[in-house]
Amino acid sequence: MGRLAVIGWQALSLAGLVLIWQAAGRWGWVDPLFVPTPAQVASALVGTAGEALPRLGDTVLKAVIGYGLAVTLGVTAGLLIGSRRMLHDVAMPYVVALYGIPKILILPWIALIFGLGLSTAVLNAALFAFFPVVLMVAAGTRDVDPTLITVATSMGATRWQIGRKVLLPAVLPSVLAGMRIGMVFAMLGVLLAEMFAGNRGMGFFMQRLAVAFKAPELFAATAVVSVLSIAVVLSLEHLNQRLGRWR
Amino acid sequence: MNGASDPQIVLQDVSKRYDTASGVVLAVERVSVAVRSQEFVTLLGPSGCGKSTVLGMIGGLIQPDAGRILIEGEPVVGPNPRQIALVFQDAGLFPWRSALDNVGFGLELQGVAAARRREIALGLLEPMGLRGFERKYPRELSGGMRQRVAIARALALDTPILLMDEPFGALDEQTRLLMGEWLVGVRRRTRKTIVFVTHSLQEAIALSDRIVVMTARPGRVKEIVDVTLPYPRDLNAPEVVDLRAKLWDQVKEESLKAMEGGA
Amino acid sequence: MKVFLWRAAVLVAAILIWEAAAAPLNPILYIRPSSLPGAFVRMWRVPELPPLSEHLWLTLREILVAFGLAIAAGLWLGFLLGLRRSIGRIYEPLLAALYAIPSVVWYPSLMLFFGLGPASKIAFGFLLGFFPIVLAVLAGIRQVPAPLVTVAVSMGARPAAVFRKVMLPAMASTMVGGLRAGLALSVVGVLVGEVLGARSGLGYVINYAYGLLMTAEYGVLVVLVAGAVLAIDGAGALLEARVRRWAG
Repeated sequence: MGRLAVIGWQALSLAGLVLIWQAAGRWGWVDPLFVPTPAQVASALVGTAGEALPRLGDTVLKAVIGYGLAVTLGVTAGLLIGSRRMLHDVAMPYVVALYGIPKILILPWIALIFGLGLSTAVLNAALFAFFPVVLMVAAGTRDVDPTLITVATSMGATRWQIGRKVLLPAVLPSVLAGMRIGMVFAMLGVLLAEMFAGNRGMGFFMQRLAVAFKAPELFAATAVVSVLSIAVVLSLEHLNQRLGRWR
Repeated sequence: MNGASDPQIVLQDVSKRYDTASGVVLAVERVSVAVRSQEFVTLLGPSGCGKSTVLGMIGGLIQPDAGRILIEGEPVVGPNPRQIALVFQDAGLFPWRSALDNVGFGLELQGVAAARRREIALGLLEPMGLRGFERKYPRELSGGMRQRVAIARALALDTPILLMDEPFGALDEQTRLLMGEWLVGVRRRTRKTIVFVTHSLQEAIALSDRIVVMTARPGRVKEIVDVTLPYPRDLNAPEVVDLRAKLWDQVKEESLKAMEGGA
Repeated sequence: MKVFLWRAAVLVAAILIWEAAAAPLNPILYIRPSSLPGAFVRMWRVPELPPLSEHLWLTLREILVAFGLAIAAGLWLGFLLGLRRSIGRIYEPLLAALYAIPSVVWYPSLMLFFGLGPASKIAFGFLLGFFPIVLAVLAGIRQVPAPLVTVAVSMGARPAAVFRKVMLPAMASTMVGGLRAGLALSVVGVLVGEVLGARSGLGYVINYAYGLLMTAEYGVLVVLVAGAVLAIDGAGALLEARVRRWAG
């Protein structure tokens, strides 16, 4: 099946889904209070754009800050853990264990100390994004082919030169992979914090809409965040393809 | 300082121990070899006999526990890119660099300007038949091509001595033979001293002036055989067949020991 | 041995440092490790907190149902997309796109549709747990070595037999890995749902304790739940290792 046919089927399926959904709402198969029709969602989209977009911007801003924090700490920690055998063996089980604990459990405590605003959301985003970054960078650092380092050493490279010209490029794909995954986790952390203890931002907005039974607006908001996330991930993937020609 | 007849590389009673989980292992025991300038010397022996370790010590990557190694009369203390270049069995090309940038790596470390590096690299890649491949990444090259790039990278340093650790080990038979012939040509043109490690008798006979047969672990020098035949060597000539039989007697004994010892 | 000692030392040091750092600070905000054992004893009997055992039981039931649904739907969709290549080519990219969306955005809609009761938690747990299972089935199918299938077919095995005797064993360890991840995520989904908006369940109790500023009790609950989750996942890891040894 050719690429064009695949895309054709995908578009057809999505369009079909929307049509069935619209029909279901119009002909009363589902209660429009709980499941709004696409038409309702579309008009709600336009209606709430004014309110939703600044909130989305707020959320994204917090995500980016938290992400930046997580990446800085995570890449550093990952490089250290991956390069020192002893540190790796001692620290790794803890990192994996902390990653396995549902981080939602910590959120109330963070909210207690840092309040209902920006800090909690940023910290939660950082918490969520940190672990995938550390794990991927540590793995990538450990997997650096030792022959490459031997080659450089035999050519008289100083430690600095080895770090810059061998380790850094060798580790870069893992760092970028970790950073790509970290972005989604950061968004997740912010939204979660906003839903739990927020007064601004998209997460809080969506919770409020849900409580007020404003289904069309809620669906519209969900769609906006979804499309944004997909767009971000797709562009990061594309960037990854472009940069990784040699792999 | 160094007389024309003095050996270029001297190993005196060199030994190397390793601490492993199951105790101390003696990898190399009291090896003494002298290599003259522009000679092609091969270290031949079964797996695990320490020949790679000896090469690593000459190259300054491993420190001997006893004995000493002199290059041009000076003791070896570490890697010496002005005198020695190494080629490994795993080509060890940097996957994120093109063939051209790989070849220029050593020069880059020494601060050579980009234009000059390019010039030297192209000059080395072309006679290797890699013209047109200089922008390719290692992933896009065959095993034989990669090894040629690795050798070009070593040659770029323009050192008097070249150390090669089973460089053709990962290649298929046909490619190995061709690469061997090609190496003979390179050696003739560049007049380098080459110390070569292999477990293949064929290769040793085809390429070397002298063959150092090593014992199974702990590696000692069992015998040193001179090969005075002219290049290129016809592997079916009676002298070669004799030499191979004689070498095989020596090596077989050690190979069996290595197999039994689980080396 | 040395590594084990270092690990233990790190843990002990962390607890001691925390205790020392929290000592001069507000005990309500900064939970001191030393307050936890006392809270553990109290929390079962203290009247302000809802009865723990029944909420614990409810949460467990929610997790079981969510995971069960995730397994059923995950396996069904995974095999559908994986075995029917044409359908897979069309819908797998769409699934991958869905995977890029931070899962929590679905929760308000689920709350609106299902209300605050267990149903929304089960739905969310199902949604989260279902993805890793589908992905694991797809990955598992992809990594069945084609030569194995060829050998079976050449010996006259019919499709059902090939599936049962060749594909399933070859996929076994990947699938167990997926089930393990699915369980972990179902648990997270249910807990998140309960913390964000519920009237019952473990997450609700945790939120409740936090709301009453009974932070020591909250701390104990967190440690216990975290420990339980790690234990369950640890059991999953052992199972996965077992299957890997058997199936290769």
